[in-house]
Amino acid sequence: MSAAPLKTTPLHARHLAAGAKTADFGGWDMPIEYEGVVAEHTAVRSAVGLFDVSHMGKVRIHGPGAAAFLNSVLANDLDRVDAGQAQYSMLCNQEGGVIDDLIVYRWGDDEVFMIPNAANAPTVVAELQGRAPAGVSVDDHHRDHGIIAVQGPRSADLLDAMGLPTDHDYMAMASAQFGGQPLIVCRTGYTGEHGYELVAPADVLVDLWDALLEAGQPFGAVPAGLGARDTLRTEMGYPLHGQDISPTITPVEAMLGWAVGWAKPEFVGRDALVAQREAGPQRRLRGLLALDRGIPRPHMQVRRDGGDDPLGGEVVGEVTSGTFSPTLKQGIGLALLDVSVAVDDEVVVDVRGRASRFRVVKPPFVEPSTR
Amino acid sequence: MYPEELRYTAEHEWVRATDSGTIVFGITDFAQDSLGDIVYVSLPAAGSTLAAGAACGEVESTKSVSDVYAPVGGEVVAVNGALDAAPETINTDPYGDGWLVELRTTDPEAMQGLLTAADYRALVEKA
Repeated sequence: MSAAPLKTTPLHARHLAAGAKTADFGGWDMPIEYEGVVAEHTAVRSAVGLFDVSHMGKVRIHGPGAAAFLNSVLANDLDRVDAGQAQYSMLCNQEGGVIDDLIVYRWGDDEVFMIPNAANAPTVVAELQGRAPAGVSVDDHHRDHGIIAVQGPRSADLLDAMGLPTDHDYMAMASAQFGGQPLIVCRTGYTGEHGYELVAPADVLVDLWDALLEAGQPFGAVPAGLGARDTLRTEMGYPLHGQDISPTITPVEAMLGWAVGWAKPEFVGRDALVAQREAGPQRRLRGLLALDRGIPRPHMQVRRDGGDDPLGGEVVGEVTSGTFSPTLKQGIGLALLDVSVAVDDEVVVDVRGRASRFRVVKPPFVEPSTR
Repeated sequence: MYPEELRYTAEHEWVRATDSGTIVFGITDFAQDSLGDIVYVSLPAAGSTLAAGAACGEVESTKSVSDVYAPVGGEVVAVNGALDAAPETINTDPYGDGWLVELRTTDPEAMQGLLTAADYRALVEKA
């Protein structure tokens, strides 16, 4: 824990007034829950939830060849998307580990916007600034914009009621106005539901939040905290940086090969990742679905069934994310498992000294409705 | 929030003496609020004997897990089996239907050594 005071978003006073419990999240004092994780999770799956995710980074990369420069650094192939589309990508290190995963908004060949994770944003900015050619600028706009995620089956109804654009494709952006200020409405999210992420100037964020809550009342809109965001993303098997992916966990191991531009001549970590992909990884990120009442948590050991001594089996991996699934009402998790472990195998997790049984599965645990 | 007729522990449990000479315990309103939505409870087997202060179960929420400790020593007379299907009862009624364990204590005097409601409130407000 650093001694630096926690940063807050423009909505912090709103969260406290709504009774939120807050906690340090990447150096930011963020709402974890308001009414409760399960109620907020359920609201997002059945209606619509509003998340303040303004702690996430905002980086503008601009100048002649900005997109081509980024494409020579980031893992995914930015040329797979057109202007006006967003893409999930990663910044890797030379060893192929993931420095951060991020969403890239491609506005044009010379204009790109990026959303890195809160804690990693300064590193991402420094890495890109260090590599940027003359004429390409990498500007950190972390505090200049806020982000509100509007997620759930009623999210389009809510934005329609606000007069905001909703018809664009999944992973596409639309420009709009709110309070006389420019607003980006992107069809992205971290919940597996149909949803939008609204990027707005920090000084209109409180008004936007209030307007969304008011317009959302008929649709059952509630504020939702990062606790529900974590249970929602875990049900989808979406990785969280720092747990399921990290500078020592590669996209090949994390089953994120789909987000790597293998045909590109150049990106950071390419040699290491190509070699690992050809040789085959030693471990893979898999899902764990509880066969009993156990709830997996990060860092718990995964073992082969030891028979009479259930916890005596060989260690085959470690849980990287785990929680109780409010939708399935059972324990779910993600784990880095030795490649000798196959999907549908039964394994044992050491839950504080108790043997809990899990089936190895391919996520998602709950069918996504993003489109 | 902290009923006067109950005794409390620094582990955020409450203890009630029953008319039949047993004691019932559970977790406090502060504890359930700190844990958040409770999704799983494991409790000791009826008939087992617990030493005072022994970890004898767990209360797990979406976010975290907390051990259950025997506030006094004794034999487990009953556990709240309804929590298996409805663990959220601890959130909604921590001092009533959300009780955890009933004990026949071997040391009736031990109850007097626990915190009063005023002591416990002071402890929580300091936290």
